[in-house]
Amino acid sequence: MKRIVGIFLAVLLIGGVAAAVVAGRESQVSDTATKTVRGVIGSEKAEFFADPDVVKALDEHGFSVKTETSGSWAMEELTLDGTDFAFPSSTAPADELADKYQVPGTPPRPFYSPLVVVAHRSAAEVLARNGLAALDGESRGTLRMGPYLEAARKERTWQQLKGASAHAELTGTVFIASTDPMTSNSGALYLAAASYVDNGGKVVSDKAAVARTAPLLKQLTVVQGAQQTSSDAPFRDFISGVGNPLVLVYESQVASVLLQKQEVGDLVVLYPDTTVISDHTLVPLTDNGRELGALLTTDTRLRELAVRHGFRPQGAAAEFTTATAPYQAFLNQRLTGVRQAPVPTTEWLHAMAQRARS
Amino acid sequence: MRRKPAGVRRLSGIGVLVAALLAATACTSGGDGATRDPDPGADIPYREGTLRVLASSELADMRGVLDQAERKTGVKVRATWTGTLDAAELIASGKADGKYDAVWLSSNDYLRLSPGVGERITNETPIMSSPVALGVRTETVRRLGWQPDEVTWSQVHQAVVAGKLTYGMTDPVRSNSGFSALISVASGLSGAQAALTDADVSRAKGKLKEFFTGQKLTSGSSGWLATAYTRRGSVDALVNYESVLLSMNRDSGTGLTVIRPKDGVVTADYPFTLLTSAPQDARESGQALTSYLRGAEAQKALTEQTFRRPVVPSVPPAAGLATDKRRELPFPGSRSVADGLLDAYENQLRRPSRTVYVLDTSGSMEGERLSRLKDALAGLTGTDESATGERFRDREEVTLMPFGSEVKKVLSHTVDPDGRAAALDAIRADARALSASGDTAIFSSLQEAYSHLGRSGSGADAFTSIVLMTDGENTTGAKAADFDGFYAKLPPDRRSTPVFPILFGDSDRAELEHIAELTGGRLFDATGGQESLDGAFEEIRGYQ
Repeated sequence: MKRIVGIFLAVLLIGGVAAAVVAGRESQVSDTATKTVRGVIGSEKAEFFADPDVVKALDEHGFSVKTETSGSWAMEELTLDGTDFAFPSSTAPADELADKYQVPGTPPRPFYSPLVVVAHRSAAEVLARNGLAALDGESRGTLRMGPYLEAARKERTWQQLKGASAHAELTGTVFIASTDPMTSNSGALYLAAASYVDNGGKVVSDKAAVARTAPLLKQLTVVQGAQQTSSDAPFRDFISGVGNPLVLVYESQVASVLLQKQEVGDLVVLYPDTTVISDHTLVPLTDNGRELGALLTTDTRLRELAVRHGFRPQGAAAEFTTATAPYQAFLNQRLTGVRQAPVPTTEWLHAMAQRARS
Repeated sequence: MRRKPAGVRRLSGIGVLVAALLAATACTSGGDGATRDPDPGADIPYREGTLRVLASSELADMRGVLDQAERKTGVKVRATWTGTLDAAELIASGKADGKYDAVWLSSNDYLRLSPGVGERITNETPIMSSPVALGVRTETVRRLGWQPDEVTWSQVHQAVVAGKLTYGMTDPVRSNSGFSALISVASGLSGAQAALTDADVSRAKGKLKEFFTGQKLTSGSSGWLATAYTRRGSVDALVNYESVLLSMNRDSGTGLTVIRPKDGVVTADYPFTLLTSAPQDARESGQALTSYLRGAEAQKALTEQTFRRPVVPSVPPAAGLATDKRRELPFPGSRSVADGLLDAYENQLRRPSRTVYVLDTSGSMEGERLSRLKDALAGLTGTDESATGERFRDREEVTLMPFGSEVKKVLSHTVDPDGRAAALDAIRADARALSASGDTAIFSSLQEAYSHLGRSGSGADAFTSIVLMTDGENTTGAKAADFDGFYAKLPPDRRSTPVFPILFGDSDRAELEHIAELTGGRLFDATGGQESLDGAFEEIRGYQ
């Protein structure tokens, strides 16, 4: 399938844009010429926008969308001249951008996805055996944040966990690999979830709470060493059989692979019992960007395609559960037993990330 | 912060490396129809559909996949080969902006640690992965009684200490595979349970120093390391990417057992990364290219052709790639730990160097050429304040051997860590005092250099090398054939000293290529611009 994407893009680039315009007219959904809309997006949405069916569906509405990826928190630093929209992976950086570019109104949130941890089965079983996780079958489970964070605080190593010695790769400090919280959304949201638990189930909203949670957040971060800047890279490393045994990703990344009927091997999806939901929020910078945002939210076909890429469309839960019904062994469709932690405001999230990385 | 921002010196270094690599490719592949740029160091403006990519040199083996990508996407990759650390400096300094559209290194970990890089790169897309592994001769594995999938870094260390294992490894200051190996072995020997800290590094120093006594080959690039390993024949093992080791086995029947140490590896994940300064069209081309490379067709081709591991679940790794998992050792999270480790390697842990510079100061060097040589030597020498890799190393014995009709002087200094500034000043003063006169006795002078290294110097256990810089042909003294005979009669351990000739001025490429080939060295081209001589000297440091 990806090969087709490549070919399709190539055709577009070599000058097939004209053909696309014609195709758009023939479909008679739109009688305006194709508008090229440029956007900067979180890496986890790159495959959605590159999907030929998405390209076609957008084209039928007269849009040709060109994207490039960036860490959600790094978008603020980009020069967005000539860009029609920014599409970070949560509301906090979106609010920042909306503020910076004085975007009126509430930016649309076409779809969302909870943060999950992927593990190889060996690691998941060891965590379960030691009370850090609970498994519902072979490929799905819950990460118990309380015990996990306690283990992290004590710098527990895999060697100290029962059952780890049978697996060569399970040595060293137990940690979840996340992205750089200074630039990337999933890394920042990880700190949001952990700080919420560490702060006694209250969202961090003042200096005292930042100070109180800082030692644990720093502990979760420094053991990782260098962190990647987007959630795609650690997930690819994981799929490639290298990298850390526990990786923080968006549920959409896993669901997308499953929905494409790709082999996932011994992957286990652990839903943290306290997690954060990533609200993919489109910040329109031009009228075209605004129209695109509305379209992604309301168009049934585009919502269906978003589901194909693993996203949960806002206000249409059934569309996701129906499509992922065959993959319940991996996916907790109704997020049973998963508490959603609120996300601190940008100010506090930044402060927490800074302390964690220092 | 130890490393300086990239200067012009570094820039030209990259250009020279490109020339050398392209020349090497031409020799080894016998003209595979690859397009070669006559002046690859030059700036070229962006052309639609052609990405100017700063890339790790081992990616040369991706040509087949990239050619196919070009057919499928219309996007062409014009690669300029570079080392990871040089690339990091170039990008951080902003000097890559406008010259390159993308960067494709074995890893972005070091790059990201450099301040000022974050906002200059975007769209990091891992394409494939390969861990740094140890390739060991089968008979050595048998002799050591190793179970390949059970070997740990500690066992490797013990084998070295027992005198039962020698190996080749690239220079960590210039090459990512060497740097990754250094991190792996430092993690393994310090017992670090998480990302390395300064305390871990200092705790492991004793063992690391022992470990590096086994390093018998060093190199600025992994390609030359493989060649030197095959040529030397007496080294037991090679530290390199799993992909490189398996390719050697396939292409040259090297028969290496590939060991991924059980206590952990550092893996390269080759993120194709756009520069934010790239034009819009280039960024779109980059997206099209990465979409293709992440597709099943390209993933299948790359794992089968290059033995790297695919990053999509639908494509299985090529036959020969072991599927049991390894712990991934974290890359240091701060620049100070990374640079501290490099500095320790360079100045304390590795075997010291004994380096002889055979320098043509014949009459024809008078004027601009001689002043370029002096500048280049001054830059190479560095000062007490220089960053890691940008001065002569602690414990290094440096000998300047200026020659005309004969060797004029033998000027030796050892860079003692306690008298570092004085030693570097003395070398710089010697370089400044060089004067031009006489004919050009290349071969007689080379023979003297070998004899000099044969007399026991400050350290018998050192990496020895000879750099030959000449601006003309041999006009007096021993002839090429005489030198061949002299070299053939040297005892084997002295024959292992390579000569790195530098093509400069009116020197004779064939003559110098012959010397490089005979001695197992490598030719460097400094016939380019004003800065190319500095660049050549600088590049050679990785081989010393």
